Amino acid sequence: MVSSCYITFPTTFFAIRAESVLKNQPYSFKMVPVPRSISSSCGTALRCSCEDISALKNILLQNDLELEGFYRLEESGLKTPVATTLDLDH
Amino acid sequence: MNKKLNLYFDNAATSWPKPEAVYGAAERQMREACGNPGRSGHTRTLEADRLIYRTREAIGRLFNIPDPARVVFAYNATDALNIVIKGFLEKGDHVLYTAMDHNSVLRPLGRLRRDQLITTTIIPCSFQGFPDLEYLESAYQPNTRLLVINHASNVTGTIAPLKEMIDSAHKRGVKVLVDTAQTAGVLPIDVQNDHIDFLAFTGHKGLLGPTGTGGLYVSPGNDLKPLREGGTGSQSELDIHPESMPERLEAGTMNSAGLAGLLEGINFIFDVGIKEIQESELKLRKYLYAKLQSMKSLTLYGPSDSNQAVAVISFSIENTDCGEIGYILESSYGILCRTGLHCAPLAHQAMGTFPEGTVRLSPGFFTREEDIDHLVHAINEIIRFTTG
Ligand SMILES: Cc1ncc(COP(=O)(O)O)c(C=O)c1O
Repeated sequence: MVSSCYITFPTTFFAIRAESVLKNQPYSFKMVPVPRSISSSCGTALRCSCEDISALKNILLQNDLELEGFYRLEESGLKTPVATTLDLDH
Repeated sequence: MNKKLNLYFDNAATSWPKPEAVYGAAERQMREACGNPGRSGHTRTLEADRLIYRTREAIGRLFNIPDPARVVFAYNATDALNIVIKGFLEKGDHVLYTAMDHNSVLRPLGRLRRDQLITTTIIPCSFQGFPDLEYLESAYQPNTRLLVINHASNVTGTIAPLKEMIDSAHKRGVKVLVDTAQTAGVLPIDVQNDHIDFLAFTGHKGLLGPTGTGGLYVSPGNDLKPLREGGTGSQSELDIHPESMPERLEAGTMNSAGLAGLLEGINFIFDVGIKEIQESELKLRKYLYAKLQSMKSLTLYGPSDSNQAVAVISFSIENTDCGEIGYILESSYGILCRTGLHCAPLAHQAMGTFPEGTVRLSPGFFTREEDIDHLVHAINEIIRFTTG
């Protein structure tokens, strides 16, 4: 089962700012439309590997970004992915 | 009569020509990259969002604004000034502004005053356009909350003593709104070093971008009440407009084609260097001022020391209607300038040119000395003709 993780943002500004802040960091990520199973304020989310999501979150917070949510999506065949809200503080 | 030229001396109204890249970027944005910024997530939309972000960063770099979230885009300086004036002031506030201020400041303040929400005091200005700093010191009231400063006059070019005025206001805890319509892209401006609370800029003058672009800087800790709410592409399920900057003060589809052009205008300024632009405009003003100064029956307004002004010069000719001068300059010589009151009636009262107005000449970065020679020749002929 493949899973990927997502960070969502309260506004488009912060989505694009996140991309800009992270572009020189050694992590791979992609800006994607927010998956339907995640409800989010802003239409663009950041998709990354679940191993990296904590590190990315920390970098973004250090840069004063406002973030909205953190999710893991399980891809299982054709079924709608299941989004789990991640509590990254623990 | 001379061969008709096409000489543009109205850069204080809007700059022309624009750097070539400005035209191309605006067109490309519409032709190839058009996606509605902020709406849905396809790649064109994302590209439009990135472009707007880069333009915010460029404005940030130009004015030394560390956080691009504090850069808000608006239609023009007028819009930005309205956003601050109507979003910051509250019932019972007192506001100071100067006689050199533009109608885009006088009128929104006038409305709030007529609606009995605020009271105001005008800082008088000298004949040359300098605000009376002693008067300013005595004008504060316990409820004074805002001082509005026109960084440079669009009538005389006079540069306001920004530092002294801001220091004076801040000593009393009064916030400062600076109108940089005539100075952005022409004079170095540093919101941190200059301690500017609110800055309004327009994109189509010194920043060399398209019309319909402009915006403001809002310093941290000053959250303005939004004047309009609407679509932002975020928090769509709520009927609450986002609270966080910059979307807090932006609603509706952004002018991405205009901002694409504006970005190239600012990039042009970075490439040339703001110091170089400032020097080149100073040289043109000195050159033009000296030539006009030597003409009889012509009255010049504004500072005689060009170091105290941007490249704007107002004049009038004895017993001659300034509108007539403008008409002859265009119809007989192909020279474009502006005549009349220039949207700053109090400035004209300070200079004694109300209500007749003046002829305003504003060279720009692309003006050449030989253009000024043609202009001066034309004015000489007009004087000879009108004064017999
Ligand atoms: C000093 C000053 N303030 C404000 C403005 C308004 O700028 P805009 O017409 O771009 O809103 C202008 C120019 O028109 C100006 O010269």
